[in-house]
Amino acid sequence: MTCASAFILRREDLVPLLEELAETLEVVAPVQVEGEAAFATWRGEALALDDKNPLTSPMEFFLPQKEVLFRYVQYSGRYTFSEDPPRARLIFGMRPCDLRALKVIDGIFGADLPDIPYAGRRRSTIIVALNCTTPGEGCFCRSMGSGPGAEGGYDILLTDLGRGYLVEPGSSAGVYILRAHHRHFEEADPGDIKEKERLLALAGDEIVTRGPSLNPEKIREAIDGVDWEEAGRRCLACGGCSLVCPVCHCFSVLDQGVPDGERLRCRDTCILSGFSRMTGGANPRAALGERLRHWYLDKFVYIPEKTGLFGCVGCGRCTRVCLGEVDRWSLFKEAAE
Amino acid sequence: MEKIATICVYCGCGCGLFLHVEDGRIVGASPSPAHPVSRGRLCVKGWLAADFVHHPDRLKTPLVRKGGRMVRGSWDEALSLTARRLKEIMEESGPDALAVLTSAKGTNEENYLLAKLARVALKTNNVDHVARLCHAPSVAGLGFALGSGAMTNPIRSLLSADAILVTGSNTTEQHPLIAAHILEAQSRGATLIVADPRRTQMAQLADIHLAPRLGTDVAWTNGILNLIIDMGLVDEDFIIERTEGFTALKDLVVQYTPAAVERITGIPPGDLKKAAVAFGEADRAAVVYAMGTTQHSCGTDNVLALANLVLATGNVGRDGTGIYPLRGHQNVQGACDMGALPSVYPGYQKVEDPAARERMEAAWGTDLPADPGLTAVEMMEAAEEGRLKGIYISGENPMISYPDRDQVMRALSSLEFLTVADIFPTETTALADVVLPVASFAEKDGTFTSTERRVQRVRRAVSPPGEARPEVEVAADLLRRLGVEADYASPEEVMAEISSVTPSYGGISYQRLGISGLSWPCPSRDHPGTEILHQGSFPIGRARFSAVEQQELAEDLDYPLLLTTGRSLFHFHTGTMTRRTHLLDRERPKAAVDINPADAAALGVRSGTMVVVESVRGGIEIEARLTEEVPMGTVYIPFHFAEAPANQLTARTLDPTSKIPCLKRTPVRIRRADS
Amino acid sequence: MKMDRSKMGTVAEGGTRTGRAAGVKPGSYLPIQAEVVDIDVESSNTYLLSLRPMDEEDELVAVNYSPGQFLMVSVFGLGECPISIASSPTREPLQICVREAGRITQGIMAARVGDVLGIRGPFGNGFPVGSMRGKNVLIAGGGSGFATLRSLINYIADDREKFKEVTVVYGARTPQDLYFTSEYGSWQAAKIEVGITVDMMDASWKGNVGLVTSLLAEIDPSPGAAALCGPPMMIRAVAKDLLGRGFIEPEIYISLERHMKCGVGKCEHCTMGRYHVCTDGPIFSYDVVGDLI
Ligand SMILES: Cc1cc2nc3c(=O)[nH]c(=O)nc-3n(C[C@H](O)[C@H](O)[C@H](O)COP(=O)(O)OP(=O)(O)OC[C@H]3O[C@@H](n4cnc5c(N)ncnc54)[C@H](O)[C@@H]3O)c2cc1C
Ligand code: SF4
Ligand code: SF4
Ligand code: SF4
Ligand code: FES
Repeated sequence: MTCASAFILRREDLVPLLEELAETLEVVAPVQVEGEAAFATWRGEALALDDKNPLTSPMEFFLPQKEVLFRYVQYSGRYTFSEDPPRARLIFGMRPCDLRALKVIDGIFGADLPDIPYAGRRRSTIIVALNCTTPGEGCFCRSMGSGPGAEGGYDILLTDLGRGYLVEPGSSAGVYILRAHHRHFEEADPGDIKEKERLLALAGDEIVTRGPSLNPEKIREAIDGVDWEEAGRRCLACGGCSLVCPVCHCFSVLDQGVPDGERLRCRDTCILSGFSRMTGGANPRAALGERLRHWYLDKFVYIPEKTGLFGCVGCGRCTRVCLGEVDRWSLFKEAAE
Repeated sequence: MEKIATICVYCGCGCGLFLHVEDGRIVGASPSPAHPVSRGRLCVKGWLAADFVHHPDRLKTPLVRKGGRMVRGSWDEALSLTARRLKEIMEESGPDALAVLTSAKGTNEENYLLAKLARVALKTNNVDHVARLCHAPSVAGLGFALGSGAMTNPIRSLLSADAILVTGSNTTEQHPLIAAHILEAQSRGATLIVADPRRTQMAQLADIHLAPRLGTDVAWTNGILNLIIDMGLVDEDFIIERTEGFTALKDLVVQYTPAAVERITGIPPGDLKKAAVAFGEADRAAVVYAMGTTQHSCGTDNVLALANLVLATGNVGRDGTGIYPLRGHQNVQGACDMGALPSVYPGYQKVEDPAARERMEAAWGTDLPADPGLTAVEMMEAAEEGRLKGIYISGENPMISYPDRDQVMRALSSLEFLTVADIFPTETTALADVVLPVASFAEKDGTFTSTERRVQRVRRAVSPPGEARPEVEVAADLLRRLGVEADYASPEEVMAEISSVTPSYGGISYQRLGISGLSWPCPSRDHPGTEILHQGSFPIGRARFSAVEQQELAEDLDYPLLLTTGRSLFHFHTGTMTRRTHLLDRERPKAAVDINPADAAALGVRSGTMVVVESVRGGIEIEARLTEEVPMGTVYIPFHFAEAPANQLTARTLDPTSKIPCLKRTPVRIRRADS
Repeated sequence: MKMDRSKMGTVAEGGTRTGRAAGVKPGSYLPIQAEVVDIDVESSNTYLLSLRPMDEEDELVAVNYSPGQFLMVSVFGLGECPISIASSPTREPLQICVREAGRITQGIMAARVGDVLGIRGPFGNGFPVGSMRGKNVLIAGGGSGFATLRSLINYIADDREKFKEVTVVYGARTPQDLYFTSEYGSWQAAKIEVGITVDMMDASWKGNVGLVTSLLAEIDPSPGAAALCGPPMMIRAVAKDLLGRGFIEPEIYISLERHMKCGVGKCEHCTMGRYHVCTDGPIFSYDVVGDLI
């Protein structure tokens, strides 16, 4: 293998490559579960790469819905603690929007005092990203500048060119993997890069024509114009919008077990009133409408202030899971008009 | 990480979800995108459905009472003791001194085997479950009117309705996914009519909100029908071709003029008219109701009145129409289907019908008792009087969920023998002689039948904790110990037996239950299942109208307020699971009684004041919460909380037809706890 | 209690974003263990607990903090919650003053001498004591919020000459709800003016009755820096009063309370608009949060 920066992986070589990788790493990839693609440990099943991006983002491998922070064991009044080491994992087929979400979270969980469990998982995970040439119906990554093509943040980037995958390393770990498995790759030619750009431009146009095209600046302005009380009336407080969002990261912590047990961390949602309520009953965000408003402000104002990136990557998942028909994007469109 | 597709354990919507499993632990849940009901969405309970599974409180070993204390025992000890004591009681006092309470939380396979245990091994029809407390009036009322007590249409059908009447259902909180469908229909242009004394979220979102006084449902329903007849909006062809008894009904409802209805219910005539026009003029109209309709001493009448309404307007048998009794538990429909009822075998074949009995005797290879058994509440009476001596309770907590808690306590404590199978210790396991630790929904295979009659696969995602076992194995084990052959290699084999004895499940097998499951009736292997009932005909030939009248309502000057009970979005039933789910418990950490600010002012009560709520049955101390959601004169308590058990107050007043207790209208009085 | 005095040295300056005490791995959720060495009853539902880190390498935690910072205190099996440090870094031992609220606070109060609690921290910015030096200081507390102010008062008392006029006003519901009553004398001895008031008096009470603001009218403090902690209603009233007396918004410091889970700016429970109370606060100046409280 030469020092070329792009390669071609033939379609028929994909599974053998993954099989080799799976010998040393846990390979996570989209597979079919009950009729839809979902990220799960790959055990040789057919890959569901042509489907739309799964409803549950692979961000769950960095910020799990539930994890053990540590175990405590009491012995004559004193405690000893134990933590699990992070697993060595390879996430295959992560899309540009989710990759951007990871970058946003890096700016929050990786910054100031880095969150140790997150940082550990981040370090032990290899990311093989997949450019989006088949965007889903609700996607608007282009408006948010997070897709359909990935810009950095991956170890290896794939683009489906039809005859095979264009493979571009993005980190030394990526280069190392390509070297170690070089027999599956052949050098790409400049035409392949052009083809990738053509496909991504096509996908981008597709998103703009069929999906909501929103300018984040407009959304920011629109937040003040939305009737949040009315939106709150329709919200069924399912919390789905936060739980499904790859950028949402709030969590709660609880202990289970006396005298020995576990301190658990679980995903939380600011949509629930108990999230901000204090023991005495006072609640700084008592109404559902206020909580919805905060959700948006965080994504479009506060997170950008902190990380320089929007707290929304345009994956469209929150609209998909909403029980109350709080169609957030049309909400903005109306307000913006 | 593995993603295992299964069905939500909470309400009857029957949402499909994935459990995320890593190293034998559930680390998350997410909605199944292709599932016909959830379609990629879940309510907050569904998102957190598996949160309780690994809770340290789970029962992990069998417990046996020895010298007044519960001590660890082996499965063999616990089951042989159960079998021996049940046999002894049967020999001493006859089979009808025994009873089985099955669980709407259990699978169809478990309910089937437990009902079989009662009938075949214990030779009694004393078998019942929680449906008694929910939808017995639907089974009785709709059974009489339409020939089937089940929801006539699939949930999806609501999307194509032009008008939807929701009554006695706090849908956004109790059946969130059905509410989501209703709201989706509304945004597409359907008119939403909500009749509920409380200003629930559903009522606030309604196009027309009727707020009748508690217990006056027959009056306003008849009133709407009267207006519809008056305006000539009935479906004459449908009435003539497919029903009987309309004339008698018509003669009766003329009395229910808007003015008369207003006197009884407090609903302004203008609103009643609007509702009648919207419902009557709709091409496709649907009626959705739940426990606010059934849990009354006139529950069956309420159901019959609603059935009249859909029949008179021809809203049966088509997409977008129908009557939707919303089932509370995820498998209360299945438990009924499996014959976990004192009067029917699987598939609603009546025990009194000699032909049905002969069929079942042949299938089960034994004689079966001919008389219907005791219902759940009757069992408590019988136990208190000493007629009932031994009960096997599966995953039920009657101490909290049944009316008149003191009596349940007396009843269960006076038993000679009580075995309780559950996943967590409860107020009921505390009274047991034997406690069996069983698997939760995430730890077993089987099927649930949702409120829309959809039979769906439940899958084992992780192993049960400690020595806990799936109850289907426990039931089979007990059957064998009681001398009944029960060598099932898997729940799938139990389903094979179910489909062989249950005509409506005749075509159901695990291989056929794909992502969408199958809706019964599904009589044969090549039958596609039936999503919409009564399309061409009714099982009883013609549907029947019933001329039902509003009952006089007793008033009690000593107890001037009316208490109604219900559930909160964040908890389920007696809270054994949801109160062990961190985010749900945090959302509603304690019980409170909802009082209208005007009533509260008169009582000198503020939000947060501790008050005593008293009925003739007893009193409880509870925090007050002031809200406009309840009208003046009415107070509301969710019944999930053991420390403020609402059912300490409720009466056992039974509906004469369906024997459902009245949990929705109890006269009470309130005073400050410090006075 | 033995501790190397030389380690106590200087006090961390207010305004640091988050404490990085020795022994606590930054960003880790593992607490250090601290033994309860003493318990004082402040009122029927409030205890003052003295703590000593159990491992020598964690000892610095007990001194390396500034007034206004808080700890995440764990009772294993019940959980973790934020509690202000009630002691001053100039004095041993490390103390927290806990009022019964819910499960965890009950758990902390159930601890006996010799029991072990978990602590993480110190967290939060603390009062900007550096910029208070050389100025008049007014300290106003209401209810249980007084614990964090006691840290500041004792800190000032131990470094008294660096500050000009120092005034403490403190109000509680009843005389029984007043904390640290035995220390008022020592504050006065350090030339700190102390005004105490209660909402509801009883037969034994001879002091003031009424709101903290009524004390302010009486004492008429000269403008300077102010440190406030208490219920939002009281804070609003006191701040308004002080602004009328010539205090300026950037020098009125308020200690805020929010639901907290992590203490390190990650869990989002404590957000107040764009601020995280755990890392940007809990001390905010009035010009920043005036319209948010
Ligand atoms: C910066 C700060 C300093 C504090 N200092 C003190 C102090 O010195 N003494 C004292 O007695 N109390 C103090 N509190 C309040 C104390 O944290 C709450 O009373 C306590 O969290 C209640 O927890 P609980 O388990 O007893 O109640 P529960 O109702 O069981 O609370 C459960 C969880 O909710 C969160 N929570 C609920 N209410 C609050 C709240 N008011 N503030 C923060 N988190 C909350 C916590 O994470 C808590 O673990 C302080 C709070 C903050 C934010
Ligand atoms: S806010 Fe919605 S669209 Fe944006 S990243 Fe989150 S889930 Fe996706
Ligand atoms: S997804 Fe929709 S209904 Fe659910 S919490 Fe979010 S806004 Fe509310
Ligand atoms: S609506 Fe019912 S079945 Fe669906 S997720 Fe919620 S509780 Fe579960
Ligand atoms: S307490 Fe977690 S962000 Fe502030």
